[in-house]
Amino acid sequence: MQLKFKVPIFDVKNLSFRVRGVDILSNISLEIFNGEYIAIIGPNGGGKTTLIRMLLGLDKPSSGEVRLFGKKLKSFKEWHKIGFVPQRASLVDENFPATVEDIVKMGRVANRGIFTGFSSEDAKIVEDAMLKMDIADLKKKMVGTLSGGQRQRVMIARALASKPEILILDEPNTGVDMVSQQRFYKLLAKLNKEENITIVFITHDIGVIADDIGRLFTINQKATVCNDPKETLSCEDISTLYGIDAHLIHNHKHEDHVC
Amino acid sequence: MLEMFEYEFMQRAFIAGIFIAILASISGTFIVLKRYSLMSETLAHSALVGVAVGLVAGYNPLWVAVIVAVLSAWLIEYLRSNFALYSDAILSIILSGSLALAVIIVSLGGAFNNSLFSYLFGSILSVSYEDVITIALFGTPALVLLLLFSKELYFITYDEEVAKTSGIKVKLLNFLLVTVVAIIIALSIRVVGSLLIGALMVIPTSAALQYRVGFKNTILISLFFALFSVVFGMSLSFYFSLPSGATIVLTVISLFILSLIVNKK
Repeated sequence: MQLKFKVPIFDVKNLSFRVRGVDILSNISLEIFNGEYIAIIGPNGGGKTTLIRMLLGLDKPSSGEVRLFGKKLKSFKEWHKIGFVPQRASLVDENFPATVEDIVKMGRVANRGIFTGFSSEDAKIVEDAMLKMDIADLKKKMVGTLSGGQRQRVMIARALASKPEILILDEPNTGVDMVSQQRFYKLLAKLNKEENITIVFITHDIGVIADDIGRLFTINQKATVCNDPKETLSCEDISTLYGIDAHLIHNHKHEDHVC
Repeated sequence: MLEMFEYEFMQRAFIAGIFIAILASISGTFIVLKRYSLMSETLAHSALVGVAVGLVAGYNPLWVAVIVAVLSAWLIEYLRSNFALYSDAILSIILSGSLALAVIIVSLGGAFNNSLFSYLFGSILSVSYEDVITIALFGTPALVLLLLFSKELYFITYDEEVAKTSGIKVKLLNFLLVTVVAIIIALSIRVVGSLLIGALMVIPTSAALQYRVGFKNTILISLFFALFSVVFGMSLSFYFSLPSGATIVLTVISLFILSLIVNKK
C-alpha cells in the first residue's frame, strides 16, 4: 500500500480519555492521510467530539499520543494548516459586531505576526475564500442577520482563509435546513476533490455522503475503521454502534442501501 | 464656554480624561464582548485597596492602585482557570473582599476623609501633574499593546477555542488583556472614581453595539461616545460643581438610552 510510506497528517496511537474513572475513549489508534475524506459517526456521548478535541490539543489525553504532520502536538507550530469548524459554528451570538468579512479575516490572523497588519495578499485570500463558499455578495452583512446555512459557509470560509491542508468539521449542521445541508455536502466534496483538502467530518448523515467519503470511522468508546464504507457498513454495524434497530431504506438516487 | 480651559487644573483633567476615554472604550469593547463586564467593577474596587495603602503609607496612591489592580486581575484569571468556581462568583468575592480590605486599611490609618471620597467618585480638581504623567506612562504602553493585539483579541473574543486551534496564544493574550484592563481602571479612578469607572468601560460599547455595525465601526462609535461623555461630563462638573465621575456616567447613560431608542427593532 502506497499510503503506508507517507507521513500521516494525524497519527493517533493508543489514545485514551478517562474522566473520574469513566472511560470516554479507550485505546484509539488511527491514521489520517493527505487527501482523504473521512466521516466519523457514532452515538451522542460516544466520544466523537472528545476525539477531535484531543486531536487539536484542546483536551489532554489520559494516555497515548497524537502526532500532527509527524510532530508531537506540543512542538507543532503550523496550526494554520488545520481548519477547524466546531459544532456550534452556525449558532453565533446575534449581537456580535462582525461582518462576514470580519469573520473570514480571522482566518488570516494566525498567518500574520503581531507587528504586521493585514496585507493586500490577505485581502485577496479572504476574497477567494468567500467566493469559494459563495458568500462574496454577503461580505458587508452582519453575521447575526444571516441564515444558518449562510453562517455555516462563513465559518468554512474562515477556516479556508488560513489555507489549511485539512478541514475538521464537528457536526456543523445545527440550525441548518435540508437544502443548505445538501449544498454544503457538495461544497465539501468539491474542496476535497479539486483542492485536495483533507476532510474529517463528524456527522449523522452518513447515508447522504456515503458516495463522497473514502473511509469511515465509527466511534463509541472504541474506534472501528471502515476502509470501504459502502461495502462494509451494514445495518447490523449501525445497530451495534447506536444500540438501536436500523432498517434498510433504498436510496434510489445513489442505488445504495442506506441505514 | 471656554473659560474653563484657562484653569490649569482643567487642562490637566481634560488631558487625563481624554486619555482615559480612549483607553476605557477600546479595552471595554473586548471586555463587554467577552462577558467580562463585571470584572471592571471588581478591579476598580481592588484598585481602591491600592489607593488606601498609598494614602496610609504615603506612597503615590495611583501607582499602588495600578500594582494592586494588576495583581487582582491575575488572581481572578488564576482562580478562573484552576478551580471549579463560577466566574461571576469569583468576581463578586474579590469585589467585596477588596472593598472590605480598603475600608479597614483606611480606617486603621485614619485616612477616611475627603481625599478618599475623590477616589470613590472622581474629581477634576484632584488631578495632579504627577497623575497626568502616571496616566501617560502606563496608559501609552497599554494602548499600544491593545492596538498591536487587536486582531488576535478580536478572534479570541469571537471564539476562543477556534482561535486556540489556529495557533493563537489564547492564555497569554487573555492575561495580557486583563492586565491592561487593570492598569486602565486603576488610572481612571482619579477622574471617574472607582465606583463609576466600570460604566465608562461597559456603557460606550453597549451603546455602540446597538448600531449593529462591524467591529471597526463599533470601536469607533464606542470611542466617540466615551470621548463625548468625558468632555461633556467634565464641563458639567466644572460649571455646576458636581463630582466628575457622576456627570460623565450620566452623560454616557443618556447616550446609551438614545442609542436604544434610535435602534429599536
